Amino acid sequence: MDEFAIRAERLEKVFGEGVIQVRAVRGVDLEVRPGEVVLIMGPSGSGKTTLLSMLGAMLRPTSGRIAIDGVDLAALPESRLPEFRSRRFGFVFQDFNLLSALSAVENVEFALNLAGVTGRRARDRAKRLLLGFGLGERLSFRPEKLSGGEKQRVAIARALVNEPAVILADEPTANLDSKIGHEIARLLRRAATEEGRSVVIVSHDTRLKDIADRVLWLEDGEFRSMTEMATDPVCGMAVEREGSSHFAHEGQTFFFCSAQCRDEFAAKPDRFAERVAAPA
Amino acid sequence: MAGVPIGRRNLFSERRRTFLGIAGVGVALLMVLALDGIFAGAMREVSRYIDASGADLFVSQRGVRTMHMSSSSIPFAAVERIRMLPGVRWADPILYDSGAVTASEERALTYLIGYAPGRRGGPAPLVAGEEPGPGEIVLDELAAGTLGVGVGGRVETLGRSWRVSGLTTGMTNIVNSVSYVPFDDFAAARGLDGVASYVLVGSDVSTGVMVRRIESATGLTAQTRAGFSAEEGRRVKDMSTELMQIMTFAAFVIGLAVIGLTLYAAILSRQREIGVMKALGARPGRLGRIVLSQAAWTVGAALAVAVLLALGLGWVLGRAAATLPLVVEASSVVRVAVAAAVLGALGALSPLIRVSRVDPATVFRR
Repeated sequence: MDEFAIRAERLEKVFGEGVIQVRAVRGVDLEVRPGEVVLIMGPSGSGKTTLLSMLGAMLRPTSGRIAIDGVDLAALPESRLPEFRSRRFGFVFQDFNLLSALSAVENVEFALNLAGVTGRRARDRAKRLLLGFGLGERLSFRPEKLSGGEKQRVAIARALVNEPAVILADEPTANLDSKIGHEIARLLRRAATEEGRSVVIVSHDTRLKDIADRVLWLEDGEFRSMTEMATDPVCGMAVEREGSSHFAHEGQTFFFCSAQCRDEFAAKPDRFAERVAAPA
Repeated sequence: MAGVPIGRRNLFSERRRTFLGIAGVGVALLMVLALDGIFAGAMREVSRYIDASGADLFVSQRGVRTMHMSSSSIPFAAVERIRMLPGVRWADPILYDSGAVTASEERALTYLIGYAPGRRGGPAPLVAGEEPGPGEIVLDELAAGTLGVGVGGRVETLGRSWRVSGLTTGMTNIVNSVSYVPFDDFAAARGLDGVASYVLVGSDVSTGVMVRRIESATGLTAQTRAGFSAEEGRRVKDMSTELMQIMTFAAFVIGLAVIGLTLYAAILSRQREIGVMKALGARPGRLGRIVLSQAAWTVGAALAVAVLLALGLGWVLGRAAATLPLVVEASSVVRVAVAAAVLGALGALSPLIRVSRVDPATVFRR
């Protein structure tokens, strides 16, 4: 058995040919242990979604290798990938992506059905999980009747119900307020710590750093060292220190995504300075 | 216990669109059922005279197997030979022609039967008046209503005037009715002498034996009443088949378009959810079953609606237009159900192709 739940080596993904060719992911290596939470950050268009799609066995890499739980994805025929996804992965999405015609419990039950568990067994298991997530009163509610936090809890229950090795979460807190966002982050952390799942989160939300064991920065399809990164104290975006606007205040240097953010900071530095936990 | 019935849930969560789809397909199926029903009703009416004649066998000129669109001539000598055959209980000749009965400006198409009053082949049942005497005619009550005459009134047919002596019932169909005059008057009006069109036979032995006995003794064609009636129906049916096929095909195409669009719209509106299902691990077969279950629910509900409406329509027509009976036969429902299943399968083709092309990775795109 592989010691890593996810092992990606020299991953490349190229779209198009000739002048319209785009190298979305360039030689990425990634290893994630069971029970580890990895947060991948990066600007829009940096290749995060492409990387997540490849890790989730939805997109074949142009080159490189991905092994999930010791299984080489390239060795699996296309016809076996759906079954592999249903048993080895749990997915959590920004827009929740619950099936709108199904109730909360049916959404979770459906994931079990896909993994071959049906009938009363599936229904009971889905109910138990949702009860554990504090959704006992919402079992028969359709997604339209649930709040954002409740929807995301149902989505996490759906992701966990088949006891997958890997949870892939795409901006799981983006549409939630900070309190609910924190609760969702805690659930993901718990899935890793208590159940030994590997959690890979792609997000712009810097609050998720609190629950991550590792934070990786993806830019132009490549991982960059986070030591080269800083957080813009005004807008919260992660920015590369080199070449970005900066401003010194009380012996500390702050980095900005744009001149507008720097000017805003300069006007009232005390208002923003404490937002950045440990500026260089 | 199976899994979550997601196809049904998806379909009925969009109630308005689903009900419109079911209604559309239902109306198309109703068209087929109604056409079939009207045709079946007409078939029953067309052979009503034969079925109600009380004869065990019908004998006609050699090779003649129907009354409709046929001409038959049998010499009296042959009628006498039939009467002499062992096992023949009775044998009564009739004259037959198709024509029109008129009164004032009104006109009704009719089968004219010439029979010997008091013998077989005459009007049954009589609802008013009595059997025709010389110079008299019995009409069906609906035809009489169309002509605006009653018992004692006068009508024209066979080139002469007749007094209406009685009325029958149930002998008018969508095309024509049956009228009865005395055999001798019919023969005189047509200038016929010593011949009949058909011979109605009552038999004391099995009809199969009697058919063979008559045919070998006379060289004429003999058929059982049921066989003769079926031939009559087949003749009329053959003449209408092309029209029926065209109208049925039109209804089928309408139904196909409606169900195809309904299912396609249902899939299109849930394309992202299809992507989610694929991402979660739904196999192509499972997704195919979702689409097919939606098709099955649509055509199943549409079929139920169509059958109920057809039965209702038959009930209404039975009371409002006695000449246009609509009979929903079990065989017709089975035929339409098979057509509906084909309709559903064809209608699901395009959505199935669409589903197969959805990329699961779309779930990560916003």
